[in-house]
Amino acid sequence: MASSSTGEGSSKMNQSQIAQRMWEMANNMEYYNAADEIYQYDRKQQQDILQAKPWEKDPHFFKQIKISALALLKMVMHARSGGTLEVMGLMLGKVDGSMMIVMDSFALPVEGTETRVNAQAQAYEYMTAYVEAAKQVGRQENVIGWYHSHPGYGCWLSGIDVSTQMLNQNYQEPFVAIVIDPIRTISSGKVNIGAFRTYPKGYKPPDEGPSEYQTIPLNKIEDFGVHCKQYYSLDISYFKSSLDKKLLDSLWNKYWVNTLSSSSLITNAEYMTRQIFDLSDKLENSETALGRAGLFGLDPQEKKTEDKLSRVTRDSCKTTMEALHGLMAQVVKDRLFNQIPQAQQKGQEPA
Amino acid sequence: MASMEVDEDVAAEATSSSQSVAVESSSQAAGNTSNFTAPTSPAPPAQPATGGGSGSALSDVSPGNSVMASAGTVGSVSVSLHPLVILNISEHWTRQRAQEVTSEVQVLGALIGKQTGRHVEIMNSFELSYDMLDGNIIINREYYTLKEEQYKQVFSDLDLLGWYTTGDTPGPPDLLVHKQICDLLDSPIFLKLNPMARHTDLPVSIYESVLDLVNGVPTLLLVELQYTLATEEAERIGVDHVARMSSHDVQESSIVAENLQAQYSAIKMLASRVRLIAEYVKASQRGEVEFNHEILRQVNALAHRLPVLNSEKFRGEFYNQCNDVALMSYLGTITKCCNTMNRFINRFNLLHERLAMGRRMRGLFF
Repeated sequence: MASSSTGEGSSKMNQSQIAQRMWEMANNMEYYNAADEIYQYDRKQQQDILQAKPWEKDPHFFKQIKISALALLKMVMHARSGGTLEVMGLMLGKVDGSMMIVMDSFALPVEGTETRVNAQAQAYEYMTAYVEAAKQVGRQENVIGWYHSHPGYGCWLSGIDVSTQMLNQNYQEPFVAIVIDPIRTISSGKVNIGAFRTYPKGYKPPDEGPSEYQTIPLNKIEDFGVHCKQYYSLDISYFKSSLDKKLLDSLWNKYWVNTLSSSSLITNAEYMTRQIFDLSDKLENSETALGRAGLFGLDPQEKKTEDKLSRVTRDSCKTTMEALHGLMAQVVKDRLFNQIPQAQQKGQEPA
Repeated sequence: MASMEVDEDVAAEATSSSQSVAVESSSQAAGNTSNFTAPTSPAPPAQPATGGGSGSALSDVSPGNSVMASAGTVGSVSVSLHPLVILNISEHWTRQRAQEVTSEVQVLGALIGKQTGRHVEIMNSFELSYDMLDGNIIINREYYTLKEEQYKQVFSDLDLLGWYTTGDTPGPPDLLVHKQICDLLDSPIFLKLNPMARHTDLPVSIYESVLDLVNGVPTLLLVELQYTLATEEAERIGVDHVARMSSHDVQESSIVAENLQAQYSAIKMLASRVRLIAEYVKASQRGEVEFNHEILRQVNALAHRLPVLNSEKFRGEFYNQCNDVALMSYLGTITKCCNTMNRFINRFNLLHERLAMGRRMRGLFF
């Protein structure tokens, strides 16, 4: 792979280098790509890290997380297959300094979120069996976290999630919680995912400043607000192997058809309707608040109503933009495939 | 939003017909570039040599040489493959290679999915454990039953469909393993991925087995199947995301640009394919390329399919959809205006009151 790509530049190299390249190409040498080193599992190194436990002293120890392309795709597919039900699963991976690495994920046979704490016991059996079986086929990593989906209501930890994660961080360190929203992923066209770790009880985190705003439906806003200070999110980055890259590039040769023919307005119609209903509820709320504030005209009251209305505005802007994006795609397709009558008449090639 | 539902049928039709136009154009381009003797081959197989040579290979075959059935045999099922499976296999191979650090690595696993009638959809896969006995691969049956139990708990509606391995063209060792899988399943699908392929097409080939008479002996032979890539919106976005991300995240300053990037890449592909066809036609006209009536007829059919959808009904529904979105953006803008007005009025009142308060206070003291 590497040898063939540098073939073009060989004219600038000297004779010995050219000869070397020719020999390598003739002998089909494959270079071991440095990007694939992350797939090696160094048992000794991992056990040392587990012994040292550097995360016990610093609640904010893990700052970044790297997710493999495969794990991401598996989690998204699993979340999507649950439809409007929450699904959950576990992730396998390892630790490297202050970075957590997720190599793979697998689904757990449990349903719903209300019985989450009980479900952990039930899933334990499945988990041990799965990890055992995985070790037999060369996957040495251990469980590094859990993921679950919030279909349609954003990536954050609910009260139950927070308590589950705190429990996990007591007994199964290192552990991370990942939340995926498959419905928002589809409606916005970008993967909607978040990785979190909770602070230990009673820990006062240093003020981080405002985190990225996300639209939360009215019925979940309280749950979000009460617990949002008890955890922090990690920076997510992704990685893929060299073979992945090659396959994905060649996949594009066939996949571009699907991209062009996808119609997000139709796929997201139901979700958009729900968003607009939610918006109308929020507007009603802010309207009543406005009415009250008008009588007093005090500063703190004002701030609250301003916040409510501004938030509603931001939410409505987001929904509108998604609809506009969908329409843009439709217009592009119409222009491409429908608008060539004049050219045909003139007998020329389509513009 | 009611009009959006009505519009669904029309738009779905438009989508599917434009999709088939696009697929045809891509198949045309692929067929031309590969210079096949059989010009109408939609999915470019990875081994042209085998495809061309297997016809003659069958006549002088000794069981060790070729395992492919004659080139004219058509598969009995249609296959759609999810990109997740491809990434699964790739990761399995990379992992194995990283741990053994040798070039020659072969991985083996099972494919699961759904089969409805003559359509097979391969949705997921998992690794299989095997032992080497006299240089032959023997599948570990216990491991398979264990895994089957596990995945049945999570994906209860998926069944075993076949198996996969890595490597170049299929050979007799693959047939041996295939026979073992035949014990578990009636007619398994066999997928082969070539991680060392040097061409840019997807190096994945799918086969099924047929029982053919070779020199009077019924032997198992492989027939290549054509496959399509299955679409699922979330999967497409995920694949798109991992395909386009680089080690450093480039933040687009414009949201519109981000969103249109995917469309732009797809259209670029379409344009390159169309250009290829146009070049071919021009070259035929000039006499540089041999006149192939089959291909030219197809190009003509393709060109005649445009415009894809231009009926009155479509126009009506399309404009309805545009109006719906315009209405939504109007609502959004009104909300934004209300917010701005509200803030303005609040601040104006505040200012006014403060001024008034100040004057009153001064009035008290002086």
